[in-house]
Amino acid sequence: MASISSRRLSKELKELNTECPAGIKLVEASNFDKWILGIEVLGDSLYKGESFLLKFTFDPGYPISAPAVQFVVDSEHEAPLHPHVYSNGHICASILGDAWSPVLSVSAVCITLQSMLASCKKKERPEGNDRYVRFAPENPKKTKFLYDDDTV
Amino acid sequence: MKVTVKNWHAIAHWRWDLGANEPENDDIDGEGDVCGICRVPFEGCCPSCKMPGDDCPLIWGECTHVFHMHCLLKWINTAASKHQCPMDRRPWVTAERTVAKSKPTQEPPLANAPPLP
Amino acid sequence: MATPLGERAFAEHVKSKLDATFQKINDGAPGVSGLAKFTKAWMYGREFLFPRDIRTQERKEFDQEAFKETFEILGKSKQLWRVIETFTQDLRRQLPLIDEEVLEFMRQYQETEDVTIIRRMIMRVAEWWKAWAPVPELGSPIMTAFNMEFQTHFFSILPPTFPSAFKALCASTLGQPADPEMWQTFETLGLLDRYENLVASVCYEQIEARVQETCVGEWSQPMLSQLRSWMADDIVQWMIMPYARAARNPEETRSMLHGVGSRFDFHVCKTLCDLRTTEIFDIIVDFPDSMPALIDLKECLQRVDQRSELVSTLRSLYDHLLIELLANRKRLLHPGADTKDILHQYVSMIRCLRVIDPPGVLLHKVADPVRRYLRERPDTIRSIVSSLVGEGGDLVDENEPIQPLHVQVEDYSDPNWEPEAIDAGPEFRTNKPSDVISTLVSIYDSKDLFVKELQVLLAQRLLAITDGNFDKERRNIEILKIRFGEAALQVCEVMLRDMTDSRRIDQHVQSQKPCLMHPTIISKHFWPPLQTGKLQMPGQYKEILETYSKEFTAFKQDKKLRYLPQLGTLDLTIELTDRTLDVHVPPLEAAVIELFSTKDEWILDDLSKELNVDSSAVRQALDTWVDYGVVSEDKLHHFVLLETSESGSAAGPSRPAAPRTDKSLKEFVGKPAVVENEAAPVMSAQQQEAEQMRVYWKFIEGMLTNLGTLPLDRIQTMLRFAPGYSRSIEQLGVFMEAARREGLVVNTNGLWKLSK
Repeated sequence: MASISSRRLSKELKELNTECPAGIKLVEASNFDKWILGIEVLGDSLYKGESFLLKFTFDPGYPISAPAVQFVVDSEHEAPLHPHVYSNGHICASILGDAWSPVLSVSAVCITLQSMLASCKKKERPEGNDRYVRFAPENPKKTKFLYDDDTV
Repeated sequence: MKVTVKNWHAIAHWRWDLGANEPENDDIDGEGDVCGICRVPFEGCCPSCKMPGDDCPLIWGECTHVFHMHCLLKWINTAASKHQCPMDRRPWVTAERTVAKSKPTQEPPLANAPPLP
Repeated sequence: MATPLGERAFAEHVKSKLDATFQKINDGAPGVSGLAKFTKAWMYGREFLFPRDIRTQERKEFDQEAFKETFEILGKSKQLWRVIETFTQDLRRQLPLIDEEVLEFMRQYQETEDVTIIRRMIMRVAEWWKAWAPVPELGSPIMTAFNMEFQTHFFSILPPTFPSAFKALCASTLGQPADPEMWQTFETLGLLDRYENLVASVCYEQIEARVQETCVGEWSQPMLSQLRSWMADDIVQWMIMPYARAARNPEETRSMLHGVGSRFDFHVCKTLCDLRTTEIFDIIVDFPDSMPALIDLKECLQRVDQRSELVSTLRSLYDHLLIELLANRKRLLHPGADTKDILHQYVSMIRCLRVIDPPGVLLHKVADPVRRYLRERPDTIRSIVSSLVGEGGDLVDENEPIQPLHVQVEDYSDPNWEPEAIDAGPEFRTNKPSDVISTLVSIYDSKDLFVKELQVLLAQRLLAITDGNFDKERRNIEILKIRFGEAALQVCEVMLRDMTDSRRIDQHVQSQKPCLMHPTIISKHFWPPLQTGKLQMPGQYKEILETYSKEFTAFKQDKKLRYLPQLGTLDLTIELTDRTLDVHVPPLEAAVIELFSTKDEWILDDLSKELNVDSSAVRQALDTWVDYGVVSEDKLHHFVLLETSESGSAAGPSRPAAPRTDKSLKEFVGKPAVVENEAAPVMSAQQQEAEQMRVYWKFIEGMLTNLGTLPLDRIQTMLRFAPGYSRSIEQLGVFMEAARREGLVVNTNGLWKLSK
């Protein structure tokens, strides 16, 4: 039986396949549990020429429940150096937690993160990055972030 | 000559009366508006229903946003929703449907509408 | 002369040897009396054994005492071997005595072909044999030597015609009283050993003749059991003579006949199997009357491994059939005719092969070309689906239990699981509940196309229903749910619900405000794409539509109605000065005639503008009224109402207009609702696919321009290079077929090219 998430995600997948927002590309979406998307910041920004991978993990309650989103960190990829992005790829962004709304979508999340990077003034890790990374749960959704910046 | 109709078997489909939200482009071939939560057309049914229409009704907010009722309730019943409209994050207040009811009487019925381009 | 010592010694040696021999022969008797006795015995013995000419010499009296004494003497003096040697030499000299007689018999036989002559000859030769055979008291070596000499000579003089004569003799005894003497004689003379195969071939030929005689074209009754009881009654009785003469009781007979009997039973199966294999195509055509023949074939195949022969026969038959069909395609009037035929054939084949081979290995091996052919035909799905819903289809056997489509997973925990047959190919999957429909549906990779087509068909039928009775459709869907699964048919459920809801809503509306209109109100997203148009219904119709809309909204406060103005039908009464017509027409026709009630004369373009419908569709609608004799085109594109009937036909319509009032389903959903083009109001799933394929037409066109002609699979392979192309070859086939109908391409023997 198709879950709520799979029906919604199949629609999103169709959209992404026909028309992906600029700077975003679908890298892997072979099931409705986990997608990988490529993201780069277009135009002038501190991240010019860099590209990142985002990992979306969906539970069956999506889009009522938010997807778990993080930057992929492996031998070939790093998380962008940004005050809201921990070196393990976890992102401190309200729309991924507190401010999630079921009308948001994978592409909306990508675009928001794109603009978060685009508006960055200074490339640096969040305060307490090392400590966070040491104790961080695997799933970023399990982290209670304090959103000190309402713009993201 | 006099033409008298004895019987007429017509075919029609139904649409939700979205009142103020009525899409301008009322194209018969169009998908129609979709529920922002499940992305299924309003005239379709939400993921937990099998039958559209009265079995899977819409819900209007005073903020004028419309959703499949089941979709919205699912959201509103989560703590994460903070009881806010998913669209504008304003506190959700379900609207009385009679509010939007004034419209159809002023508007010419649809069969009467001028041909669309 | 001095004699050398050596010479002397030699002479002495010879002398002593001679003495010893003499002593042996003389048996230590005084003087030479022993030698004389030996000589007498020798003479007697030789004469006793001598192969005489039985035609002229009587047999000597056999003196027991003399015989015993003689052979004692010869034995004692160790000279018996010499007697036997002499006998053998005598025998060789005498054997040609039989030649004359044998050759005479054979000559007579050649003249008369009378097998009794052969029997007489063999019996006569046996007399010679008996006369010459050494007595058994002499031991078996001499007997063996004798037989060897005798048979070698006998066989050497037999002419080449003898084997067939001998076989004829054996065959002549079939059904005759047993002749043990003759068969014993055959044995004595070594004929049975030498001609063992001939004797067996008598049986083989009997079996073959019997099969030819009784089984050809006889498929309606089980023949194998009849053949077997014939074997038991007629042949086994005969077999006792050649194969079980020595049996002393029935038990022994049975065990002696066991091996040879099973060989002959095998031959029965093989012969019947060969026959049925050559007949297989007609047997399939004849199914189910040919059921007994299939059961026979199944049993034969279990005994005789000729499955591969059956497969290759079927394959070549179908290859031929398909080539013929492809060649004939253009000549067939109805484009769907060959698809239906071949589908029918295929279904019969499925049924037949399921009888022969329940696991379906044979079917899997044979069906490929047929399936490929069907897959490429554009109307296959539709044919299958219409028979699924019980329309013009005897494809589905009503008695067959309805089963879910087979799942392509092997369930090893299933207690009934069996390993696949050994000749199953690697791609063969045991599809246990392989009912006909499952096998048909499996022609395609997915069942989605079927469900889509089913939805289209259901839509056509439901929209044509005016009396609110769709019990049959509901029943069909219930049945199909079992096959395709509930989830796949959920849309159909909604369609049926729409029908019930429409009824209920209409009852309510009518109770509030009686109305002549009874709409079917559909949930758009659950129905196949319907033809839409912007037809403006004029005059009284507009009022009816508006009134109903209002009443609907009053009842269902948060809903509105959107009409599909070009669909549906109206029953109208047209009252003219001199006549009244009752007609059943689609909305556009009704709209056109309504406009004539406001104004007697119309120009085509004005009508088109007024109704917001393109002029070719309006012209078609006008043609209906021209057919009814209500309107006539007095000059090009100018139409006038005929308030009084045209001269000479005052009594009624100027031309019969039967087709327009025909309420048959096809006519109803097919023709009258056609508005903007020739297509049916509901786009078939395949049409929809074809529509989506148009994007790729440029690629195909380019390909065919450059390469001339291409088979479908090549086009498919090359299209894979086109961006975003993900269609199946079936979908491409449907599209090419559509392109052919539009005259863009032609297809010759499976090769596509652009039409010039």
